[in-house]
Amino acid sequence: MKINKFTSLTIALSILFISCDNEEIIESGSDYSNGILVSGEGSGAGTGSISFIPQDVSSSTHLIYKAENDTELGTYLQSIAFSDTNAYISVDNQNTITVVDRITFEEVGKINSQLELPRYMEIIGGTGYSTNWGSTASDTDDFIAVIDLNSNSVTKTIPVALGPERIVSKDGKLYVSHKGAHGVNNVVSVIDIATDAVTEIIVGDKPDELVFTQSGDLIVLSEGAVQYDMNWNVIGNTLASISKIDTNTNTVTSTITFANGEHPSLLEIDGTDLYYSLNSGVFKMSVTDTELPTSSFIEAGYINEMSISNNQLYAIVASYTSLSDFNVYSLSNKKMITTLKVGIGASKIYFNE
Amino acid sequence: MNNKIVFFICFLAGLHTHAQNDSIVNSLDEVTIVADKNLKDNSVGYKIVSINDSIILQNKVSFTSLLRHNTSIYLREYGSGGTSSARFRGTSSSNTAVVWNGININSINNGSTGFNSLSVNLIDNIDVRSGGGSIKYGSGAIGGSIHLNSRLSFKNHISNQFVSSIGSYQTYQNLYKFSYGTDRFVIKVGGELNQSANDYPWLGTVYKNENGSYKNYNININVGLKLSEKSKLSLYLTKYQSKRHFSGELPNPLSANEKYKDFNQRILLVYDFVNNSFSHVFKAGYLTQEYRYFEDKESTIYNYGKSETYLGNYDFYWRLNSHTKIELFSEYTSIFGSTDQFSIHNRKQFSQAAIFKQNFSELLSYNLKVRKDFNSDYEIPMVVAIGLEAPVYNNLKIRFNGSTNYRVPSYNDLYWPGQGNLNLNPETSKQIDAAIVFKRKKSKVEVDFFLIHTKDKITWIPNGDPERPGIWVPININSVKNKGVDVSGSHVYSYSGNVFNVSANYSYVLATDLKTNKQLIFTPKHLFNATFSWSVKRWKSYYQFLYTGKIYTSEDNLDIFSMSSFDVSNIGMDYKIINTENSQLALGVKINNLYNEMYQTSPRRPMPNRNLNLQINYKF
Repeated sequence: MKINKFTSLTIALSILFISCDNEEIIESGSDYSNGILVSGEGSGAGTGSISFIPQDVSSSTHLIYKAENDTELGTYLQSIAFSDTNAYISVDNQNTITVVDRITFEEVGKINSQLELPRYMEIIGGTGYSTNWGSTASDTDDFIAVIDLNSNSVTKTIPVALGPERIVSKDGKLYVSHKGAHGVNNVVSVIDIATDAVTEIIVGDKPDELVFTQSGDLIVLSEGAVQYDMNWNVIGNTLASISKIDTNTNTVTSTITFANGEHPSLLEIDGTDLYYSLNSGVFKMSVTDTELPTSSFIEAGYINEMSISNNQLYAIVASYTSLSDFNVYSLSNKKMITTLKVGIGASKIYFNE
Repeated sequence: MNNKIVFFICFLAGLHTHAQNDSIVNSLDEVTIVADKNLKDNSVGYKIVSINDSIILQNKVSFTSLLRHNTSIYLREYGSGGTSSARFRGTSSSNTAVVWNGININSINNGSTGFNSLSVNLIDNIDVRSGGGSIKYGSGAIGGSIHLNSRLSFKNHISNQFVSSIGSYQTYQNLYKFSYGTDRFVIKVGGELNQSANDYPWLGTVYKNENGSYKNYNININVGLKLSEKSKLSLYLTKYQSKRHFSGELPNPLSANEKYKDFNQRILLVYDFVNNSFSHVFKAGYLTQEYRYFEDKESTIYNYGKSETYLGNYDFYWRLNSHTKIELFSEYTSIFGSTDQFSIHNRKQFSQAAIFKQNFSELLSYNLKVRKDFNSDYEIPMVVAIGLEAPVYNNLKIRFNGSTNYRVPSYNDLYWPGQGNLNLNPETSKQIDAAIVFKRKKSKVEVDFFLIHTKDKITWIPNGDPERPGIWVPININSVKNKGVDVSGSHVYSYSGNVFNVSANYSYVLATDLKTNKQLIFTPKHLFNATFSWSVKRWKSYYQFLYTGKIYTSEDNLDIFSMSSFDVSNIGMDYKIINTENSQLALGVKINNLYNEMYQTSPRRPMPNRNLNLQINYKF
């Protein structure tokens, strides 16, 4: 069509121009409840995105936000938080939390001022608490943005230590793991919501995932850090650990450390079972164990995220240059049941009940 | 769309123009010296497109836009003025060598050249050479090489040129060139200052190109001295500094906060001795490059990369007889490179090449070339090349070249902390190119068929090294096959004082990852550009058209991760107020993106909407 303005060009050449676009017809107006949402960070190869998988894990639909809103989320999509009605999508490089209806995924608002590299958000009532790295050029400007979810605006910020990451809450207190952004940190902040008072609990280096046990203890997985000399040669490692924090006293009551050089990641709790990932294996232990398991439970490869549901393990092997793999394993026979494709740089699994 | 056609027809019908002399030229015969004097001679069998200074000044906003509108190279730009990388015949960004006066100036740290990190507006001529050129131009000349050439003319003259332009979004470009010469001495001095707020509105959004401003300056000094009838000494000096902000991307461009600075200097001294059957050329060069990247533009903390290159080379030509020449080429380079992430590494290389040339002009001319490098870091395979040309019939000739080439790993590939891989091998390629050339006085058409097979492509992947789980590591993994067709043509037509000129380039590239059998990402299959001009008396008008085909951004070639094709048109007109032998004063106006197309060369980063540029060009 646009070729018309160049009737002066040879027809022979113009034939070559006719591109063979197979426009994908993406349905809009869908219902994304009762299924699994997988968020992908995105990369240079494509936008951060959310894929929907129905509960029977039979198929996946990509780019559901783009399908409903005809615009992209950008990079890098870190996490999604949920209120009763909405989903809050944190995209760090865009300094934006996009608010969508959690069933239709139609956009209902945006929070894009007073945020700087937002990572994770915890919602309590009508208030969101978003962990922000601030400028990566400064180690001292990291903060929690307190967001009024009625007006979608930041009402105040609470300064915290370097590199706040995951955030969870219990009994009027926020617990924030400080993995350390591009550096290393080793604390869990406890923030009294009523007073904004911040206290810090020292754990192992690079604490990331936080889970509560049925008895109310907070379990922290610290990945441990790799240490470099001035010339960036590796000269050692700090130890990874699993720490248990008594949330009544906010003290570490037990710590299990990993061998030197082992850097586990990911932490899931299913009843009294804990799962973590180390190298190509998923390991299983009980919350009451005092020793680490000696062999892996399932070999799932180098995974970027996992989740346990319906006696199944969902494990993501991420690709940053193409769609990622969402692999489903049976916890009973430890075999892979099925595999689906999910977004570029897939990194989080959520259940949209 | 209809009003576009109407506009175009009205434009063609309503204007008067002037003599066209800035078509793509293929020869330029003056009493000149150039540092890389045997470029043409060594390119028998290769396609070379030359871009002269008037075309350069017609596209002077950026090197990126100059190449985009005049060659079949795909340039990916992270928003107008941002990081820009080239894909020549579908090869990767580190597979295009940029060669300044015969010296490869690709960055030691990342192996490539940023096409918005240098200005070519003071350069006299650019030759774009398709195909492998490692024999003479070293690492990275796989897809092709881009030659920036300065020319020094030994003749009595004194000339000045002043070009000033003002464009939309507070874009100001000013340059001044001075040239003085006698039959024994010549000096050329040029200076340039460019700046822009570059805050164009993003079509279809409520945003502007936030944080996209830039400012750069460039100084060139070239001096030539005829020591005797047989020997000449020349000095080439250039200095470039720039400060750019990097614009953001949708959906929230307000989050953009990055700043980037470039500091480049190059000095080259050339001694040239010619007698009847021998010639010697000695060169000594010193080049420095530095970038500073500020993740937060307000902060004083930055990441940097810098390098210093010392080089010396010697060219020996021996004319055995009227149709046979031998050239021996020796080069020694020592490069010191570092970044904030790793301390200084020194790479030394000695290269020896030999070229055998025969030219039986009515029958056949050909080159045979061989080169061996001795590198302190790697074993580099011996490379060979052949080029030949033969007239076939009347105005038809055939060209052929075949070569092996390489790209050594960059410092980032090797030394990046925790991620570099010291066990990398150089990328190597084998390629052939066969062409039919039709050339008459006023027309030229070249059709090239090419095939490039690159092995051991250096690719960064997670878990590339089993010893470092979860870490992105570069490894030699992919094999890539590029095949395609390049078509270039130009034609001049004169009719009662009117001169019409058309030149066009088209390329079709299938660049296939041999493991996945998919097209490489950010590699359009179709690229087309054309320039039409019409000159009559003191008027000249021109129309530029660019078409870029659909691009996949993910390796699985999914439509959901692709960028659609686009076309962009520019239109311009110049009028010479003064037009004497010694003095020309021209006023020009150019409308870029005439049809206000919304297009992107990088996802979520809209390119400029319709914008205007006014220029004054005074030569005296």
